[in-house]
Amino acid sequence: MNWWCAAQDTAWSWTWQPYPGVWLMVAVLIGARLLAVKYWAPQTGEAEGGRAAVYVLGVVVLWIAADWPIGPLGAGYLLSVHTVQYVLFAFVAPPLLISGIPRWLLRRMIRPRWAFKIAWVLSRPLVAFLCFNVVLLATHMPSVVDGLTASQLGSFAVDMSWLIAGLVFWWPILGPLPELKPMPYPGRIVYLIANVFIPTVPAAFLTYARYPIYALYELAPPMSGLSAVEDQQIAGMIMKIVGGFIVFGIASVLFFRWAGSEETPEAGRE
Amino acid sequence: MKLSTRLSTVPLLAAIATTGCIPDVPPRPEELRGASYSDPLEKPDFTLTTTDGDPFDFRAETDGFVTLLFFGYTYCPDVCPIHMANIAAVLRKLPPDVSREVKVVMVTTDPDRDTPERFGHWLANFDPTFVGLIGSLDEVNEIQSRLRLPPASRYGEDDNTYTVGHSARVIAFTADNRAHVGYPFGTRQNDWAHDLPLLVKSNWGAP
Repeated sequence: MNWWCAAQDTAWSWTWQPYPGVWLMVAVLIGARLLAVKYWAPQTGEAEGGRAAVYVLGVVVLWIAADWPIGPLGAGYLLSVHTVQYVLFAFVAPPLLISGIPRWLLRRMIRPRWAFKIAWVLSRPLVAFLCFNVVLLATHMPSVVDGLTASQLGSFAVDMSWLIAGLVFWWPILGPLPELKPMPYPGRIVYLIANVFIPTVPAAFLTYARYPIYALYELAPPMSGLSAVEDQQIAGMIMKIVGGFIVFGIASVLFFRWAGSEETPEAGRE
Repeated sequence: MKLSTRLSTVPLLAAIATTGCIPDVPPRPEELRGASYSDPLEKPDFTLTTTDGDPFDFRAETDGFVTLLFFGYTYCPDVCPIHMANIAAVLRKLPPDVSREVKVVMVTTDPDRDTPERFGHWLANFDPTFVGLIGSLDEVNEIQSRLRLPPASRYGEDDNTYTVGHSARVIAFTADNRAHVGYPFGTRQNDWAHDLPLLVKSNWGAP
């Protein structure tokens, strides 16, 4: 039994496979929040509202991205599914997880001096921008994909690097703590849109390459009617279009919040 | 220019005049991405049946072409479809003066299940010009032994789900009717795209 999805030499089968490492990740994320609420929640603090549901939704997205069938399909058979995983890990789950954590819990998490320093540094837009895009480019290099995705530990490392990079990327935009001096809305919008362009580089390579870039997917047992190059082109389009759609969608939301805050100055302090 | 030098260019000029191009010298082994044979293989002389039911004299029908010969079967879950898909994809992208000089021949190692209809349809999914050949397993194994390949062998008891162990190597015969290089599983489209033009334009066996 495998604990995390990795590339395999066997033909694809639609027979369900358990991945205990994925379940453990889900249990830790849910359990940690439940314990935090039980032991750390202020007696007269802010209401949870819908945050718990948003957080659970973020965990569910991670579960879907990592578990069968998307996990093993993406790890060893289809680059397009691997890119769907990337989008879910880096663009969908992190905003939900950050939005789903109440402010008192975020403050509790950064209470230790070292944690505050890390949060402060990672909240700087340039640092977050560099972290995210270095991870993006590194994890799409052929040597990394072909080398790491073949092992469970390597595949786990890639998935977690996407999640962590996604949390770092979204934190300057959605991290609401005033003590970390978040960017004003115009700055957040510019930051988001600047990040649309970097993924264009790997996306363009995937979309326009004459031959398959990754040996792993080119030499994987075929499981669909797609050729390796068609699969690669779909991956490039997912990376560019779906990732861009999410970024522009959230930039639009920020724009309207900004406009709203101009009309109601109280809201602008969020 | 010395007279002797001038005279030495006459045959070369004559060759250019008659063929229109300068024949390329054979590529050195290190220039090719396939695995070179230190002792090149002779193209085997055999006749098997195509998926259309016609006899196919391998040596005669492929004479003068770069011929990629592969032994596999249509129920193969990985090696065979990947090799065929990669070769077909590259041939579609190579210039016509290269691709039309390449013939792909696959001999089934599973004649019990690879009916002519099934085998023909399977190959046509990759490229309708690919030639599928069917013979008895004894015949096929005898041809493989001449090419220093292991015999195909069946694994599994169930008549529907058994697998066939077979060589994963594609043997590339050049126009001199010898194979100087083979391509194991793991050969990528980039490798085919690099080597096929060299094999087509090479001049192995030329005086």
